[in-house]
Amino acid sequence: MDLILEGLALSFTLESLLAITIGVAAGQILGAIPGLTASMAVALIIPYSFYFSPWVGIPMLLGMFKGSFFGASTTAILIRTPGTPAAAATVLDGHPLAQQGKGAKAMKMALYASVFGDTFSDICLIFFASLLAIVALSFGPAEYTVLIVLALGSLGMLSSRPAWKGVMAMLLGVVIGMIGLDPITASERLTFGNPELEEGIGLIPMLIGFLAVSEVFQQMNDKTEDLSSAAVRFSTNREDNRVSWLEFKSCVPVLFRSSILGTIIGAMPGLGATVAAFIAYGEARRTSKTPEEFGKGSLEGIAAPEAANNAVSGSNLIPLLAFGIPGDIAAALILGAFMIQGINVGPLAFSQNPVPLYAIYGALILANLVNLVLGFGLVRIARFAVKVPRRLLLVSVLVIASAGSYALRGSLFDIQLVFVFGLLGFVMIRFGFPTVPLLIGFILVPLLEENLRTVLLLASTYDESLLFVFTRPAFVTMTVLMVLGALFFARRRWRKRAVPTSES
Amino acid sequence: MIRLLKSTALALTVAAIVPGSAIASGYPSKTITFICPYSAGGGGDTASRMIAKLAGDMMGVKINVENKTGGGATIGIGAVSKAKPDGYTVGFVSTSPITIRPHMMKAPYHPLKDLTYISQFVASNQPLVVLKDSKFKTLKDVIDYAKANPGKLKWSTSVQRGGPHVAVEAMFKAEGAKATFIPFKGGSKVLAALLGGTIDVGMMSEGTKATLDGQTRILAEGTPNKNPVAPDVPTLTEAGYPIAPAIFFGVAGPAGLSKEVLDKWDAVMAKVVKSPEFVALASQRKWALDFAGHDAFTKIVHADYNAAKIAVAEIGMK
Repeated sequence: MDLILEGLALSFTLESLLAITIGVAAGQILGAIPGLTASMAVALIIPYSFYFSPWVGIPMLLGMFKGSFFGASTTAILIRTPGTPAAAATVLDGHPLAQQGKGAKAMKMALYASVFGDTFSDICLIFFASLLAIVALSFGPAEYTVLIVLALGSLGMLSSRPAWKGVMAMLLGVVIGMIGLDPITASERLTFGNPELEEGIGLIPMLIGFLAVSEVFQQMNDKTEDLSSAAVRFSTNREDNRVSWLEFKSCVPVLFRSSILGTIIGAMPGLGATVAAFIAYGEARRTSKTPEEFGKGSLEGIAAPEAANNAVSGSNLIPLLAFGIPGDIAAALILGAFMIQGINVGPLAFSQNPVPLYAIYGALILANLVNLVLGFGLVRIARFAVKVPRRLLLVSVLVIASAGSYALRGSLFDIQLVFVFGLLGFVMIRFGFPTVPLLIGFILVPLLEENLRTVLLLASTYDESLLFVFTRPAFVTMTVLMVLGALFFARRRWRKRAVPTSES
Repeated sequence: MIRLLKSTALALTVAAIVPGSAIASGYPSKTITFICPYSAGGGGDTASRMIAKLAGDMMGVKINVENKTGGGATIGIGAVSKAKPDGYTVGFVSTSPITIRPHMMKAPYHPLKDLTYISQFVASNQPLVVLKDSKFKTLKDVIDYAKANPGKLKWSTSVQRGGPHVAVEAMFKAEGAKATFIPFKGGSKVLAALLGGTIDVGMMSEGTKATLDGQTRILAEGTPNKNPVAPDVPTLTEAGYPIAPAIFFGVAGPAGLSKEVLDKWDAVMAKVVKSPEFVALASQRKWALDFAGHDAFTKIVHADYNAAKIAVAEIGMK
């Protein structure tokens, strides 16, 4: 207990509070700018971190990562430009709401969901880190495969009419996702000998082009819109600019489910926040009472991906603290910062010197509060910023999109990609092709391929061949749960059919 | 609070002094571009930024780090090789894209002809590890198992077709053993797969800390440098196998750098690796500081390049 207090005392100081505030503010702004990520900012300040006390540097870093998730969703909602890939799923319902003049409502929902997801996963980290880490490690390629198949199943229900257009869009996404190195043999696929394509199509230039630049083209082409009018209009009705208690309450089940999903996915090295957001979105739609609202401005459709992607940011520290394994680049940077400051993380840290760990917990919780408070400020600034005339905003988006994608890896090729995908998105919308299946095909199917083929490779080393998966407890548990879930679903549907409702 | 103000003030002062002092005559007299072929946040990037800051302070000029990633680091190194050899464009280099990958792919440069090797500053360890309670107690146990059960042994390493991959395949080949390589993206995922029981053996730098943490056991070392955590364990060449390539971090420039530039960097890098900041960073990251100036580094690269050429042809890796 004394150790816990000692740890909390380290993070509950005025200087670390100030550091957290600077971190969160910087994170929210960087997150909102497409192409600039919190990871880049952290990499820039690491050489200077020697001159900071650990309890200034580390809280600032944690705040930065937390802030960036929410910052990214404001631009996703208002101008259809996800600041980071993790906010791509937020575009689906956030942007339609903004078009209805309810942008402020959407941003506030995103803020509440972000802070909810963060807090949920931080609590899990504090109380169940070692347990969750063991569960996460028991997940190997076989379990990932099942998880992704499940996700594709629930996301497949985002079907569009006519169905063939959805299938075509998804297949195109799969083909684009296949560009690069074969995940098993590491031989080149669809690269046409171009070394720029060897590492595949970058997620960030692809998303910026496909979502944001296509929207700019769309608006430029729209002759009915007055180009000097405000870029994004906000309703003057007070109800459209806030999230009422009733609305929030209706999202609570989704918030819990998505936070649980995000926490579990974050604890497993290799899936990440973007995948978590899409899986939670699909799951929210599958379990929603009003699935027809999804894609048109459903609050649940914002709550789910936002809670899930933020939950990842807390739980990716789980394998780091329990096993010294960073779950993603953010966790790797945090690990780097700890090491520079001489703080050991890993399985021995809890027994050797737990005080810094408790201080981290304190900083995490504090950062969530700061994120909430500063988030309201960002909503105000964002509302003000998009009041500029449409013709200015459209041009700025193009400039930021190009600069942001260049900054990422200093490649002119990525700017070309942004415009190629902008054109692709524009043409697809023009001819009535849905865009979401392409994103799902691009993000999830290559992951499925990688894991499935690893399973097949593993199978060749076992006497029981592919049946080896049934020797893995995690796989068996997941399969049983999946079958039970399917049975439960089928029964509910059967009952519905047996008792015809008045609507039908 | 005061401490924060002080540190901010210090950072600002450093930032203010650097451009002001860039008036010295001779090399360098203006901003140097330092190309890092890896993305922001990784080990190569952290090292690049640390060097840029420390070397920049010592030379009295600003050194800008530019991340040019892609093509398995060959794009960034390609950019260095094509730069004007005036010393104002240099870059970070590491083992795989210099001594290993060019034997398997068409790199946009010839490692021995298009680059000048300025200095090596880190030689990291690549331990071959198994779980702490694994039935494999020695390297011989692993080989015996792989011989008795062809294709059943599952192993992995951080970079597919990188130095350690070639070294371990060459070892199996020499023994006539057959194992199955399971690819994972990055050393931390290899460690996770090892701890989760998906693979039996891993070779990755993360194995050093994992052994310190009591999770794994080191059976061999994949580089010429003895592992500090297990000094009694043999390297692969000591155990009688074809290669144990050095896993280095270094600085290189385009071919034809002048002696003035090389001498300056030799002097500065020798000081950088001794600076308290760099020593702290290296000891926390478990990098073995191993400075080699222009001549020694060039020799290492040539020797490893030629050894890897033979090994790669031998095991038929493409």
